[in-house]
Amino acid sequence: MTHQAHSYHMVDPSPWPILGAAAALLTTSGLTMWFHYNSPNLLIIGLTSTILVMFQWWRDIVRESTFQGHHTPTVQKGLRYGMALFITSEAFFFLGFFWAFFHSSLAPTPELGGQWPPVGITPLNPMEVPLLNTAILLASGVTVTWAHHSITEANRKQAIQALTLTVLLGFYFTALQAMEYYEAPFTIADGVYGSTFFVATGFHGLHVIIGSTFLLVCLLRLIKYHFTSNHHFGFEAAAWYWHFVDVVWLFLYISIYWWGS
Amino acid sequence: MWRNVLALRQVSQRTISTASRRQLENRVSESQKLFQEDNGLPVHLKGGAKDSLLYRTTAGLTMLGTMYAVYYLLVSSMPKKPN
Repeated sequence: MTHQAHSYHMVDPSPWPILGAAAALLTTSGLTMWFHYNSPNLLIIGLTSTILVMFQWWRDIVRESTFQGHHTPTVQKGLRYGMALFITSEAFFFLGFFWAFFHSSLAPTPELGGQWPPVGITPLNPMEVPLLNTAILLASGVTVTWAHHSITEANRKQAIQALTLTVLLGFYFTALQAMEYYEAPFTIADGVYGSTFFVATGFHGLHVIIGSTFLLVCLLRLIKYHFTSNHHFGFEAAAWYWHFVDVVWLFLYISIYWWGS
Repeated sequence: MWRNVLALRQVSQRTISTASRRQLENRVSESQKLFQEDNGLPVHLKGGAKDSLLYRTTAGLTMLGTMYAVYYLLVSSMPKKPN
């Protein structure tokens, strides 16, 4: 029986990278078919295959780490670098939408009435639901840190309580934001105000949903004893992502909701 | 999934009946045994028949979708016949 002379993980051949790439092709061409030919079929196939690939790929990573023991400290270091770089790329993604917002709002054109918010737009009151949402995300940052400390201190009961609370806060934010979207007196079609508002907050909301899902998966793994007090990188990655989502919201709140009103 | 939510409630309150106790025991070592078996299976199929079914469904859906996408790409690239 051969043994490797290094601490890296040489993965088994896997179909998920190529199938994931194909799923991305179907999703993007599906969007085109939906926008231009009013046919959602390809988009539905694309989204379904994307979700199936994601589920199986990440399932396999859990198997390789928790059940097969391939995640040595060296491998974990690589995963840390990877997650940090990914979050950095997401930060640049949001930077673009903030650029667009400031481009239009710092020098409002005559078409907007030379003012920001533009003539005819009643912005949302930043002291109402948006302030509650800020409190919710800040609180969830505290609870996820509580969960982390509980995990490192091997306090199972508290770790489960804290992580559950974090997930619930995330869902609460999403529900409130959905209600705000429904009740808002302006739409995405209302000029550059509508565009910048809904694209920036919309992508943020999508990231809240992704982050909440990641945390929920971690909660299920926590209950199933996958984490140890000194090896729980999946949880740490979810917590990093969640803090990132929180910080983006703070920037959104200050610039679009507060300064922008 | 729902069992896990119910389990979660019990776990944080610590009232567990015998029936659900099996649900909340540490079963990681059983999974470790299954996935470390020397049967030559790649990790994406090592869980058993459910893995193969899910893989074939995913691959099938993706391949069908790709053929559909290429077909519509070719159709959309052709000029429309004038009346």
